[in-house]
Amino acid sequence: MFKNEEMEINMGPQHPSTHGVLRLKLRLDGEVVKHCRPVIGYLHRGVEKICENKTFFQGQVWTDRMDYTSAVANNLGWAEAVEKLFGITVPRRAQYIRTMLNEYNRLASHLIWLATHALDIGAMTVFLYTFREREAILDMFEAFCGARLTTTAFRIGGLREDLPPGFEKMARTFQARFLDCIDEYETLLTENRIWKKRTIGVGMLKAEDAIAMGVTGPVLRAAGVPYDIRKAFPYAAYAEMDFEVPTRPEADTYARYLVRLAEMRQSHRIIDQCLGGLPEGPVMAKLPKILRAEVNEVYHPTECPKGELGYYLVGEKGSTNPYRFHVRAPGFINLQALPMMIEGSLVADVIATIGTLDVVLGEIDR
Amino acid sequence: MQTMTLSQTCVMAILQAIAVVIFIFIVVPLTTFAERKVLGYLQDRLGATRIAGSRNGLTGFLNRGMWKMGKVPFLSIVRGLPMFIGDIIKLLVKEDIIPDKADRAIFIIAPALSMVASVVVFAAISFYPGALFTFPRCVPVIGGLPFTGFITNMNVGLLFILGIASVGVYGIVLGAWSSNSKFPLLGGLRSAAQIVSYEVPLTLSLMVPVVLSGSLNFNEMTRMVATQMPIWAVPLLFVGFFVYFTCGFAETNRMPFDMPEAENELVAGFHTEYSGMKFGFFYLAEYINMIVVAALASAFFLGGPFLLPFGLQSFVPATWPLIGGPNVIWFLLKIFFLLFTFIWVRGTIPRYRYDQIMAIAWKYLIPFTLVDVALAAVVRFTMA
Repeated sequence: MFKNEEMEINMGPQHPSTHGVLRLKLRLDGEVVKHCRPVIGYLHRGVEKICENKTFFQGQVWTDRMDYTSAVANNLGWAEAVEKLFGITVPRRAQYIRTMLNEYNRLASHLIWLATHALDIGAMTVFLYTFREREAILDMFEAFCGARLTTTAFRIGGLREDLPPGFEKMARTFQARFLDCIDEYETLLTENRIWKKRTIGVGMLKAEDAIAMGVTGPVLRAAGVPYDIRKAFPYAAYAEMDFEVPTRPEADTYARYLVRLAEMRQSHRIIDQCLGGLPEGPVMAKLPKILRAEVNEVYHPTECPKGELGYYLVGEKGSTNPYRFHVRAPGFINLQALPMMIEGSLVADVIATIGTLDVVLGEIDR
Repeated sequence: MQTMTLSQTCVMAILQAIAVVIFIFIVVPLTTFAERKVLGYLQDRLGATRIAGSRNGLTGFLNRGMWKMGKVPFLSIVRGLPMFIGDIIKLLVKEDIIPDKADRAIFIIAPALSMVASVVVFAAISFYPGALFTFPRCVPVIGGLPFTGFITNMNVGLLFILGIASVGVYGIVLGAWSSNSKFPLLGGLRSAAQIVSYEVPLTLSLMVPVVLSGSLNFNEMTRMVATQMPIWAVPLLFVGFFVYFTCGFAETNRMPFDMPEAENELVAGFHTEYSGMKFGFFYLAEYINMIVVAALASAFFLGGPFLLPFGLQSFVPATWPLIGGPNVIWFLLKIFFLLFTFIWVRGTIPRYRYDQIMAIAWKYLIPFTLVDVALAAVVRFTMA
């Protein structure tokens, strides 16, 4: 009469905390997850193929729409990959501004991560506190390039415009209060017993597993591996910046939380250096009107807030479009580790783990 | 109190029942409104400041008025007050969907069961141990009779409350089961386990005032616990209050124990498939339960209509004006403060995991309360 059946349940694609349209096929035994299989592709637009039919200048617009919480970092990767392909040198002032905006973007992205992660675990107030600061960052993006979310912030060869008047004041106001804001989030979470109970030991991903799965970014660094592209293969102006790569040995959700908070403090430090040492000069390199590629290929990795964002571009002789374009999206590769992290844990931990991986489906499905 | 005839009793009971229902249906929407505003201010935003509707007509008129109120510092807090009616109207006029595969009869009964269970509890709750006012002689049938602050003064009031309140879980479980859907089912399973588990420490913690007062009568317990306690009963009552209120969060499915609905895990838990006023009933039942928990906590631990909590009133001479005797204002203020605490906690802390919630109940709260009850028995022994 009694059967011990496992229940198949679909979490997503419409679900409040699968961060977009991620679908998880879960097999549950009571509340315990026995089997998990992520299903992706609900947001597939074929960005890579589309970019192959666009010129190098036009392609950047599509990178906005991949990881829409960190559009600037995506733009930077594209711009630098194309510059690498054509051997263009970007003026130093532009490099600094790019670095600064990239770090602002990292802050914005981490703030969204903190907001949604905390909200998934039930701490709703953090959500609104972080969005307050994110608003200030988006205002700066708006002042710089006119857009808040899909920025298309840079041009191949530098920047279209220098920083607008008043930008420095906005940036300095933000810098002055941001560290206090991080402390404010910490008062709500870091020593909170419930927060610790929900995150310590949850979603473990050991360093060797993480490396085997190709996981990068804060998730890898929280497993104790100090791998950060900004240090390993410096790009933009990172070689001239003084910052640390925070790591933690615990490899659980709480460690990832601490690593990301520490990263936010480091980003703040980098922005301070950029603002203080902003060199004078032009912001745009001399470029031909039309970029015609040679037979050539580049792979350009950048440290996106989510991990290693690599752009692989192949040029075709005389063509204005890339012959082949491929994105190594950090979210896509980090998501591979999800089943490994949650099988055997409870349903509530699935939510915490999705949150800690910081997936954005726009980037995963592309 | 003079004895009443049958017709007088009936009329009186109906009037009091109506008064309590009006009280509930004013306080509940106000609590939902307060939740918007308190959470708003906790979270560095304004909360509700306007109601949805057209630019013209009543909503437009109200919204323009509220816009002007926003310029006055104090009045700006109550902007958006029409929201508390708007919320109910929205629930009432929404399309009511019953899923095809649902068990129709149970699906319809479940929210009503939840709602009824929480409202009926008020029959035994006493807001004030005596007459609030006396009807003038000119009123037919009930002229000259006192309007008491309680509906019934039954001997086993607390038992009645606990019995009725425990029916509420059926509403949730049946609602979850009859939806015939997986997320509600998970929510229902969780809530069955959680609410049943938490009823144990909840009831045990209420045993502390029962043992100390030696009564199950609501008025008698309140009076005894507030006014006739030795000093060493105070810490016991404090611990009892702490445990009771913690369990109250679990019983009402509020943060940090809102497992059954855990929005971010189970979509909306047991009421995922509900819409319209059926959802509204679950929603209202949650808020009524909050009021019940707050009322019981204030009555049995915080001194009820007496000013000082935890039996400290025993050290205030009963002859002092205003604070010496019972006053319904104190009782209401305590209820409102506890309701505020419900909202405050929701805005502050994250949600426990299901297994952790069960661990708290069985590993900590129950042993803790048992010791508390045993000590209360010792204190009672010294009192006698």
